[in-house]
Amino acid sequence: MLLAHRPAAAGLVAVAIALPALWAGEFHLRFLAEILIIGTAVMSLDLLVGFGGLVSLGHAAPFGLAAYAAAIASQSLGGNLLLVLPLGAATGMAVAAVMGAVILRTSHLFLLILTLLLGKIAWEIVFHWREVTGGADGLRGLPPLSLGPWELSDARSLYLLAAGLALAATTAARSFAAAPLGRALIGIREQPLRMTALGYSIPRIRFSAMLAAGAIAGAAGALYPFVNLYVGPQSVHWTLSATMIVMLVIGGVGSLWGAFLGSAAYLTVQTYVSSYTDRWQLFVGLVFVLTVLLLPAGIAGGLRSLVGGWAHGRNGNDRGA
Amino acid sequence: MGYALVQILNALSFSALLLLTGLGLSVVLSLMNFINLAHGSFYLLGSYVAVYWFASGAPWWLAFPMAFAAAALAGALLERFPFRGFYARTHLMQVLLTYGLSVIFADLMRWGFGAQILSPELPEALQGVVFLLDIPFPLYRLFIIAAGLVLGVLLWLLLDRTLWGAVVRASVSDRGMVEALGIDTRRVFAAVLVLSAGLGGISGALGAGMLAAYPGLDEEVLVLALITVVAGGLGTFRGTVAGALVVGFALTFSKLWFPEFANAAAFSAMAALLLLRPNGLVAPRQRQV
Repeated sequence: MLLAHRPAAAGLVAVAIALPALWAGEFHLRFLAEILIIGTAVMSLDLLVGFGGLVSLGHAAPFGLAAYAAAIASQSLGGNLLLVLPLGAATGMAVAAVMGAVILRTSHLFLLILTLLLGKIAWEIVFHWREVTGGADGLRGLPPLSLGPWELSDARSLYLLAAGLALAATTAARSFAAAPLGRALIGIREQPLRMTALGYSIPRIRFSAMLAAGAIAGAAGALYPFVNLYVGPQSVHWTLSATMIVMLVIGGVGSLWGAFLGSAAYLTVQTYVSSYTDRWQLFVGLVFVLTVLLLPAGIAGGLRSLVGGWAHGRNGNDRGA
Repeated sequence: MGYALVQILNALSFSALLLLTGLGLSVVLSLMNFINLAHGSFYLLGSYVAVYWFASGAPWWLAFPMAFAAAALAGALLERFPFRGFYARTHLMQVLLTYGLSVIFADLMRWGFGAQILSPELPEALQGVVFLLDIPFPLYRLFIIAAGLVLGVLLWLLLDRTLWGAVVRASVSDRGMVEALGIDTRRVFAAVLVLSAGLGGISGALGAGMLAAYPGLDEEVLVLALITVVAGGLGTFRGTVAGALVVGFALTFSKLWFPEFANAAAFSAMAALLLLRPNGLVAPRQRQV
């Protein structure tokens, strides 16, 4: 269901986005922008994991390589948004195309290992190719983003930009999931044999899903360096891929919007708990394990069953999104 | 000639380490269909036990049984809760649970043992070098190769040639039938997991003299062991041996030939291998019932 069909939900989202832009300070706006950008990447991973059952442990590769591509291009060509964003999406798509070509015919554990290997190869290249990527130091001193005459370098415009991207990406992902292609993707997850018998090509559907997810992750990656004013090899490392899956599960697999809850929960814990104790990873691990044990559908699933139970009681309509 | 021999032995000692770690992962994966991403934590725990045991002055050779016992104990506790409830769940849920646990253990070990790199004080019997064709080679690496061989053969005998091994394999094929024979399969699976954890611990103790012990090593070893098991092919003992040799040699020789992009080259080779042989080097015969 697209937001346009639900004016009440659309209004709520608009208010939720506008409120921080009016009240929050510099630090919090940048923090929210990061949550939205990482959340967008996690949401694109949800297309693969939640709809296709393709658990990729290399999703940081399209995200991080797009971030590098955007940062490197902006150093020589300037931070024109209309250049940076399509370039990031294209890079993400190209990386995803390579990964998709490799994993076309594998599944389960082999898919996990192959995506992990590809992610590690990407990291090795970024880390060792010092002339272009800056190696372990990463890239700093990026020019500000700009859109025509406007410069988008202050926290508020970066936040609004990230929110716009998140909205656009969620709409795109939702329409992908609602399209026949998205339905077929769920179909090959649930009944690969029947789908083949019906004439669907499993590799082709998987490949399209990879491309869509890669493009969204790449677009998110393109903004990432400009919010942090830095891009380093950590943004390609496989632990970020694993962290994305952690965020996805905490938020809720298969809901798309849960990805933003998951990234918000994770980054909040990381930012605030780490200022009290060095043991924040222990805390994150505990939260994650408890989520898996107690709330396997994530925050989104918990909320939905709460709201669903209420809506069900009211008008017997329990369709979910 | 001597140089090549030394490099081959280097690769073999690394392969022996990968074999032991991979076998621990592989028995649980192929026998119980359970993916344990906390296996790297067992390895690192074993490494830390060995480092502290060697420094304590107690008989050095006891370090290996102690590492086995420590990791096996951790495995036994984890098996009770929460692993047992996840044997029948999907791979994704297993991956999530055990990855989360590995994050917790990594931080607990960083807390307990510190964030610095700890290298063990090797016992005198294992120190020094031997000269092979006039080129010095560390004695400890020969010890690792020998230990890997002995333990690998022992494990193969245990699983393939004993009644207990037959019970384990039967529990995998037809759990209900084994239960009907009056054997508690929950216990069998618990024992397999404890054995696997112990293997992880003992390979950590062996590997400490070669790779040292530091936070983050658990993940590195886990990833290499996973690649070993998957590249070799699930469900067969020979597959894991083949996988360990391939990964060990690929990593050692790519460091010689492409020092800058060593890992990228080795990982590309393994990805290519998995593309050509999607079920691993040694694919088990599929039994269709």
